[in-house]
Amino acid sequence: MTRPDGRSPHDIRPITAEFDDLARVDGSARFGFGSTPSALASFTGPIEVRLAAENPSRLSLDVVVRPLSGIPGTREKKTGSVLGSVLKQSLVMEANPRTAVVLVVQSLTDEGSLASMINASTMACMASASVPMRGVVCAVDVGMTDDDFIVDPSPEEKQHTSASGCFAFHIQGLQRVECIWTNWTGSGFDEQELLQARTIARESVINVWKTLKETVARREKLPLEAEDEMEI
Amino acid sequence: MSVVVPGEHVPAQHVNLKLGPGLTQSSSSPTVISTRAGTLNHSANRSKWWVESNSRRYVPAPQESVIGIVTQKAIGSLVYARISLAHKDMEPELECFDAQTRKSEGFGELKGGFMVRCSLSMCRKLLDPNHFLLPLLGSQIPLEVAVGVNGRVWISSKELKHTIAISRCIEAVDPDGEGMEEKALRTFLGSLDA
Repeated sequence: MTRPDGRSPHDIRPITAEFDDLARVDGSARFGFGSTPSALASFTGPIEVRLAAENPSRLSLDVVVRPLSGIPGTREKKTGSVLGSVLKQSLVMEANPRTAVVLVVQSLTDEGSLASMINASTMACMASASVPMRGVVCAVDVGMTDDDFIVDPSPEEKQHTSASGCFAFHIQGLQRVECIWTNWTGSGFDEQELLQARTIARESVINVWKTLKETVARREKLPLEAEDEMEI
Repeated sequence: MSVVVPGEHVPAQHVNLKLGPGLTQSSSSPTVISTRAGTLNHSANRSKWWVESNSRRYVPAPQESVIGIVTQKAIGSLVYARISLAHKDMEPELECFDAQTRKSEGFGELKGGFMVRCSLSMCRKLLDPNHFLLPLLGSQIPLEVAVGVNGRVWISSKELKHTIAISRCIEAVDPDGEGMEEKALRTFLGSLDA
């Protein structure tokens, strides 16, 4: 099956992943599936927290999501809540108790891509290097059509899928890739198909992880060495 | 030296293994994993391992020398102090004298001068005796400098234009900013009216 843009079913679009240089934050990054970034994320902290939100044993994570146009509403609140719960799996919340950390995500496109927001947020956390992380959270979209499962469906392709969703994975090196969240939804799919979609997403998300690692390597001005060197 | 991202296994093994910033060992298994994205380094004998990465946000650690701004009583004055206590569950404590000699040794109030902010890796570079910047500036401009590893540098120089020149040079060499190398910095310094 070939797709409108010539990709094979499990190909993702070429990724745009860049660390950004926003002035008043500790770390920032842009991410997008395709040639333009669709999410810009910034991470600041640990900073002082107001007394009401102070937690004696862990840091408080505040997520603000802004749409490209319009005022943030319920949908943005929901997205923020998802981003927070997904990133909490990787942030070591106990390392900086009684502090706060603020993650702001700005959507750069009309539709907004949750997978891109998750990836941009992870990159912003890595860029700030202020809160220790257990792993890297990466996400990718999968859609189900009559013929096959397609990875990273474009907005047009999504309209022809009977079910689709974003899968988020917590990746600790290539050894451990664990699915931590999904919003797979649609009509006429069974459990087998959901598991299949997740397996396909899991294979594709490795490429997202590799691209993020390459972006880190560029920032550190180091060549990327063969993966075997890192495995014991 | 290789690139790591958080969660990756690190082949750190030694009889006297010491893990520096960016690495942790889980209590359940002997494997060492990285907790930040950056460059993995180790000492020549492979006993000390750490991950080097730039950051703008300082998290206190004991024995580090930092520059602080007083917030009560003598508000606004600058202090060069050593962190004597830094624990995640307690407020950090500072000391204004050297622990071993019990003398001030340059710690205490920094009078006059000007404070600039820079990234954390820039502070580490300034503290490195082999880095080119401070010796180069010192050979051309009489100056006094105190470097805090918390991203703050205090500069004191007789003439205002010298202070501004030093401040701009630090900004220019900062890897978080332009990241200028020695040659480019020399040209830059020459172009300044100092």
